[in-house]
Amino acid sequence: MISKEDAFKAISNVIDPEVGFNLVEMGLIYDAVSDDDNNVLVTMTLSTRACPLHQMMVQWVEEAVMKHTDAASCRAEVVWEPEWSFDMAEQHVKDKLNQFANRSV
Amino acid sequence: MNVTRDFAPPFSLIAPFFLLGTIFYVLSAFGLFTLDVDASFTSFSTIAWVHLYLLGFVMMVIFGAMAQLVPVVIEVGHAKVDFFYIIWPMLGIGTLAMVFGFAFAPSVLPYGGLIVLTSMVIFASDLFATLRRGEHSSIVVSTMKSSNIFLLLGILSGFIMSLAFGGVLHVNPNHWLEAHVFAVFGGYVLLTIMGLSMILLPMFGLSHGFNDRPMLYAYRLMIVGVSSVMAGSLIGINFIKYFGILSVIASVLSYFYQIYLIYKTRARKENDVWVKSLFFAFFALALALIESIVYLLGASEAWVVSAGWFLIVGFAGFLITSHLYKIIPFLVWFERYAPLVGKEKVPMLNEMVPIREAYIQMYVTAIGVMMVGLALLFRVDTLFNAGVSVLVVGVLFLLMSVYRMMQYGKEVL
Repeated sequence: MISKEDAFKAISNVIDPEVGFNLVEMGLIYDAVSDDDNNVLVTMTLSTRACPLHQMMVQWVEEAVMKHTDAASCRAEVVWEPEWSFDMAEQHVKDKLNQFANRSV
Repeated sequence: MNVTRDFAPPFSLIAPFFLLGTIFYVLSAFGLFTLDVDASFTSFSTIAWVHLYLLGFVMMVIFGAMAQLVPVVIEVGHAKVDFFYIIWPMLGIGTLAMVFGFAFAPSVLPYGGLIVLTSMVIFASDLFATLRRGEHSSIVVSTMKSSNIFLLLGILSGFIMSLAFGGVLHVNPNHWLEAHVFAVFGGYVLLTIMGLSMILLPMFGLSHGFNDRPMLYAYRLMIVGVSSVMAGSLIGINFIKYFGILSVIASVLSYFYQIYLIYKTRARKENDVWVKSLFFAFFALALALIESIVYLLGASEAWVVSAGWFLIVGFAGFLITSHLYKIIPFLVWFERYAPLVGKEKVPMLNEMVPIREAYIQMYVTAIGVMMVGLALLFRVDTLFNAGVSVLVVGVLFLLMSVYRMMQYGKEVL
């Protein structure tokens, strides 16, 4: 059986190219469960409903789990409840994004 | 990796809109040398320039952005995605023909107008068919539907005017002018910008949990305002027209408040070239609003000419260029690097922006916009020519930035 931690660790290889953080530290991955046959179901969200990378993010998550764990299959399901907010991101992500205030890049 | 991209149109379809749009922006900047500060709003040379800029640059880029964003927003593919391969050449050729018609040969106007009209009917027919396929309902979708109805009304009124200018139809084009201007700029360009702002600003700024009622009021007020101005000017009742103008002003104020709410709740605090360009865009919108109100209170035509400048070049121009630094890297990344994710290191989107050129473009263009706007207000020819020269330099840096972003990683293919 694939543990939630193993699935999350695998998904942390998927980086959002716009913000530069992985999906787990952004708080976009809500849950990951596996049955006895190692079929994994990931519950995730996106930072916006109009995300142009919607389909690709889902595919990257499924492929990351397949590549980095012993999963027999993986399906990622996008949900909009609860709605993602910045509070769900890890502290170092918040610190980093706030750090940019008034900095010219 | 077999990347699924059911909704997204291919890069080869979208890229010409942005590249051609930028080239039209460069042509428009050079075209300003043919004008002077005494040019009236209704002179053919001014109208030629306005069409070169608004059709060639503003509309071209908006159409490209809509081609990319509409399927993503409503989560279905385009009804007729291949239509976009003919929209940009028709819009480009039609625009050039119209500008030539206004500047040199009015008899060409109906032909140019017909080509532009056809390209826009094709665009609108795909958009309505695509929106009908989706089940998603939101203020953004409502904005898209309404703005495209105004686009058709605006283009039809413009086509009637072009027939009149070309001597084909015997109506007074001046009766249609205000209806045409408000339908196209207020009803289409401003409503579309408002709708797209509700997607793009929260998306890039990571804004969440803001109240979106001000946008709903802005949307309703703009529809009432533009409809009233059109009706008032066509049937010749000034009271209805002025009521409409006030409604449009109220709509813009409500939109301003919405932008403030989105800005206040943004998680991403980085003040990059996108944010700074947006600051200038909204500053220019505020200037345009103030100058318009002063004009309505009885000031000279110079105030409304300057307001028009700040509105279309300061506001619309900067809002569009700011997003080119977000949208083009994304499109290029999507085309060239998305298939490589998980196989090799891929760049972040901000690494694909030529920072130095982008900043030079932003500051130099902003200085040029201010100089020309003030020159139009105070009727100073020397300042106007100096401002246009500065603007041309800024716009050339934009062309350079766009080219470099499009070339980024080309060897990857």
